[in-house]
Amino acid sequence: MDETVNNPSMKKSFGKSLLYALPMFLITFVFITGGKPDFSDPAGTLAILATFLGMNILYFLMHYTGKTDKFRAIIFIVFALSLSFTLIRNMLEIRHSMSFSQADIVECKIPFCHLVIPMMILPAAFTKSIIFPGTILGGFANISSMAVLWLVATLVLGRGFCSWGCFYGGWDDGFSRLRKKPVIKKISDYWRWMPFAVLLMVAITAALSLTPTYCSWICPFKAVTEFEQVTGMESAAKAGVFISLFLGLVVILPVLTRKRTQCSFLCPLGAMNSLSNKITPFTVKIDKKACNECFKCVDVCPLFALTPEDVKNGKVSIFCSKCGKCVDACSRKAIHYGIKGIPAGSMKKFSRNIFLFVSFLFIAVFSSGAIITVIKSIFNLFI
Amino acid sequence: MKKIKIAAGIFWAILCLLLILVLFPGLNNFSSGISRFPFMKINPNLTGGEAAEQIVMKSCTLVVRKPVFDGLIGERKQGFVQIDWRGNLPEIISDTIDYDLDKKPDFVIRIGRSESSTVLKPLNPKVRKVGISTPTSYGWSARIKIEK
Amino acid sequence: MLDTFILGLSSGSTCLLTCGMVFFPYLMAGSAGTRKIISDLSFFLMTRLIVYFLLATLAWYFGKTIFTSAIFRNYISGILYILFAVMLIWYSVGRNRKPDCPAKIVTTVNNKKLVPVFLGVVNSLGFCPALLLILTKSATQGTITQSYLAFLGFFAGSSLYFLPLPLAGRFRKKKVFETVGTLATGLAGIIFIIKGFTNLIGGIING
Repeated sequence: MDETVNNPSMKKSFGKSLLYALPMFLITFVFITGGKPDFSDPAGTLAILATFLGMNILYFLMHYTGKTDKFRAIIFIVFALSLSFTLIRNMLEIRHSMSFSQADIVECKIPFCHLVIPMMILPAAFTKSIIFPGTILGGFANISSMAVLWLVATLVLGRGFCSWGCFYGGWDDGFSRLRKKPVIKKISDYWRWMPFAVLLMVAITAALSLTPTYCSWICPFKAVTEFEQVTGMESAAKAGVFISLFLGLVVILPVLTRKRTQCSFLCPLGAMNSLSNKITPFTVKIDKKACNECFKCVDVCPLFALTPEDVKNGKVSIFCSKCGKCVDACSRKAIHYGIKGIPAGSMKKFSRNIFLFVSFLFIAVFSSGAIITVIKSIFNLFI
Repeated sequence: MKKIKIAAGIFWAILCLLLILVLFPGLNNFSSGISRFPFMKINPNLTGGEAAEQIVMKSCTLVVRKPVFDGLIGERKQGFVQIDWRGNLPEIISDTIDYDLDKKPDFVIRIGRSESSTVLKPLNPKVRKVGISTPTSYGWSARIKIEK
Repeated sequence: MLDTFILGLSSGSTCLLTCGMVFFPYLMAGSAGTRKIISDLSFFLMTRLIVYFLLATLAWYFGKTIFTSAIFRNYISGILYILFAVMLIWYSVGRNRKPDCPAKIVTTVNNKKLVPVFLGVVNSLGFCPALLLILTKSATQGTITQSYLAFLGFFAGSSLYFLPLPLAGRFRKKKVFETVGTLATGLAGIIFIIKGFTNLIGGIING
């Protein structure tokens, strides 16, 4: 037996885990409070403390238990729910409706979201302009900030963005965990290329029509954020598409398959992030010497990133979002977080420690605002 | 070679770690940096185009924007012209617009604000129909579809 | 002729929107070399030219009354779009199916170079405002030659956008591009189904 099987655990002692969690504790405190904690508002203070402690406990547990996915999923799902709640509350307060009006479009006041990015590139190159009615700088969810956040995240995490940064992914991740066993077990991995086809189509249509076609016609998450006011046949049809796709790909299919079907079969940004998986230093590696080809990792992968052939070849595909589900599922620890250049089976703990620090820091800070808002609203109900 | 690969991988990973560390404190600076790129401006099809003429009236200002025909490559045959009314608007807005500034009226537009009705009377064959007519935070805006 | 050439040139991007979306994925999903792509593109453009000539003849013969009829515009184009879209989806989904699958028929169609022909027909019959303009112009022309010249100008202007498409074939050899292209063809089919139903529903509502 090799070293991997002799020493399969990523667990750490209580003291060592605390030591590893300490830098995250300090950095998230500074980033979340902005370095200047304000304790004048009791509900706000409690919300910040709850968010801060909750996140750091999750990070500590990742080190202490050696498991990643279930703790990541908690923050990821809470992030998705919180963001939808924050957006809807914001819209109800400002517009008294979940829909945006024509005036919001004319005045370019629509909050920007990272899913628009694939449609921006061609028009930006040809027309030297952005085809989204939002604000370039300033205001809520402006284009510049969101572009920078996505650019850095995709450079650093690759498709890891889809499991550690996307504020929509938590929806189908959450629904995919509701059943213990899948009802639909066999889905051809041929379909995992669908997001690239969607990317191709939306990039062409958006460039030619100079409108973000995915947002206007397809995005299932419009159902839980904001959509165009229904004023006629066309806007009613759009609302119908948003709701149907949300129910089908984000709710029903994930429940039946235990897979993240929206992320796997539709999201064009997921396709772009898959390409940046080639650049990022972090990856998931398969140690062929330790692998007994049980293919449990193939079964649990929520994004169809692993096929039996991939496992036999000892390489994960570009679809991997580094969620950690396969890593946690492997009883022989043959599959693990790694850094490109380092051979599979070597420096496993070092690679995992760096990856967890980077990815967790990103999601912790990125999600904190929305989570604090939700917790604060809950506290306000009782205090 | 193996050692060089390992060192390069670790170096790139640590660089990424530093990048994430500076991302959030430096977000405002990075954002304003990226906003200065030449393509970081909203397409005229969405903004409504630049103002071509401003007419100050009794209680409000009428802004006639430059016609927008922008396409991916070159210009489209069909476009629109946006008209804004800013300030304290009367209940019924009625104006004659010369959007191409040739001193000849191109259309008459009449907006009933309370019932949100817009009636367009084209005086130029290039003027087609009303695209958008909506109350805004500053008053009212209308986009009239036109041909080149 | 010059004015219709300019009209074709200006509306060519819209033309590419309706047919480039179909043709580009189709080329990527193909299985032959650049020569095959060039030949497919030639078939496609040739079909468009033939359909335009036929339209020019009909426009000149029947006059503008028939072409402004909502029934022709909505029902027939709606049905054509739906039929064609179903064919495209069949083509897309059927690739990985067993040989006894009905998609075999479409594969046969593909081998006989009829898919580019179908694409050419549907693209030419997409009654965009620009084409309606040409139809109106042709219908009011004094001679059939003038009607042909009007359509020829429109064809030349709008076809310019399709000429770089053979370059897409350079990526075609990779399995990935083939899969993505095939799936994109299916998506284009869905778009055409929606377009077809919109035309039909619009036709029913507007009588």
